Amino acid sequence: MTDFGFVMTLARKDLMQELRSKAATVATIFFAGIVLIIQAFAFSEREGLLAIIAPGALWVALAFAGVISAAQSYQSELEEGAFEQLLMYPIPRATIFLGKLLANWLYMSILGFVLLPISIVFFDMNLGASWLLMLLTILLGTLGFALIATFYAALTANLRARESLLPVLMFPVVVPILLAAVRATREIAGAGNLGISLSWLQLLLAFDLVYVVVCTAIFHFVTED
Amino acid sequence: MNPEPAVELFALARRYGFDMVLKDISLVLSAGKTVILAGNNGSGKTTLLKILATRLKPTRGSARVFGFDLHKEAKEVRRHVAYVSVLGGHYQTLTAFENLRLAASLYGHDRQEVTVAELEGKLDAVGLLNARNKQVRTFSSGMKKRLAIARLLISDADLWLLDEPYAALDQEGKSLIDDLLIEGKSQGKTIIMASHELEHTRKFADGVLALQDGYLRKLESSPLEVVSD
Repeated sequence: MTDFGFVMTLARKDLMQELRSKAATVATIFFAGIVLIIQAFAFSEREGLLAIIAPGALWVALAFAGVISAAQSYQSELEEGAFEQLLMYPIPRATIFLGKLLANWLYMSILGFVLLPISIVFFDMNLGASWLLMLLTILLGTLGFALIATFYAALTANLRARESLLPVLMFPVVVPILLAAVRATREIAGAGNLGISLSWLQLLLAFDLVYVVVCTAIFHFVTED
Repeated sequence: MNPEPAVELFALARRYGFDMVLKDISLVLSAGKTVILAGNNGSGKTTLLKILATRLKPTRGSARVFGFDLHKEAKEVRRHVAYVSVLGGHYQTLTAFENLRLAASLYGHDRQEVTVAELEGKLDAVGLLNARNKQVRTFSSGMKKRLAIARLLISDADLWLLDEPYAALDQEGKSLIDDLLIEGKSQGKTIIMASHELEHTRKFADGVLALQDGYLRKLESSPLEVVSD
């Protein structure tokens, strides 16, 4: 089997586990939905304010939900030594990271696609003809977020205070991605400058490429004991 | 059979914080031998097995498995080693068959190499064919142990590291482990087994080693070379 085959096998395993347990799905959809509704309720008084805060609201909901799903993706690994067993198979450590990344990215992207129409309805977002660009923003933004979340979730997986440490450690690193994603969303949804939105998307792509190389290269240090 | 010694340990030590669990352990174990690793709880048996399985790094010293350096050639070592842990290492929401299929894939066997019938054969060999489609979270400890044995059987490993293989098993399960040891020995596998059941297991072994105060001692005359004794 090739390294690509290992990556696909591990991603399929993670997704199958999530489909069975629905542990992350229930928590993240509920949490993200509540975050969006509360913000929509809080900022609905002033005319036009909802559309202004919509990009931030969407990415705040996605980011918090993403932390939950990343932490959950390692929870099943910790039960009864499954992750330890995984590390003893004759496969490159990078395939373990990329497999989990693929599953987390796919999950976060789907979550983003679910939250987008909710945001459009609650926040009067107007995508116009730029909806394809918006989907691309979600794909690139969630990729960057999943990269950092998957890496730091592995780093904190064996710690007792992992639930509190994970967001504390990862959010400073993920801020550039969130800022770029929010700005790109603002330009796309706010009938802004399409050229500027493309610049932010290029920046997002650059962040993603750098993070995927760095995280994959140093992942084996995270798993050493 | 592999001409290299199965295991070579040179002045191996492992520390957890300030606690030196393994001290200056040296050992040469020929391929095809079965060894029991005895010792009290916390004596370092599992630590030594995990070092050999590349899961833990030694604090000092070096080790080779079938001529491959544990640290520099870890991936090669993993091809030759299969470790059965006390915990089992299964995914709880996957079925017995899905866990075994996953293990076969991660050992590098694609679906043409290891067929459904072969996987079912392994499950049958450990008495789990009827539980094929049950999620592992519904299994008893003994059933999880049996599934771990099935996983061992689909690996091509030449070195079997068994951590308390008799624990949690009923009489039928213990007979299964007995048969496994006899079969492994006949296939030329090298087996290192941590066990408290010395009386029962010594008949399968070429030698008994004991970990005491962090040092490895040879308990009985055997073809093992324990340098630190």
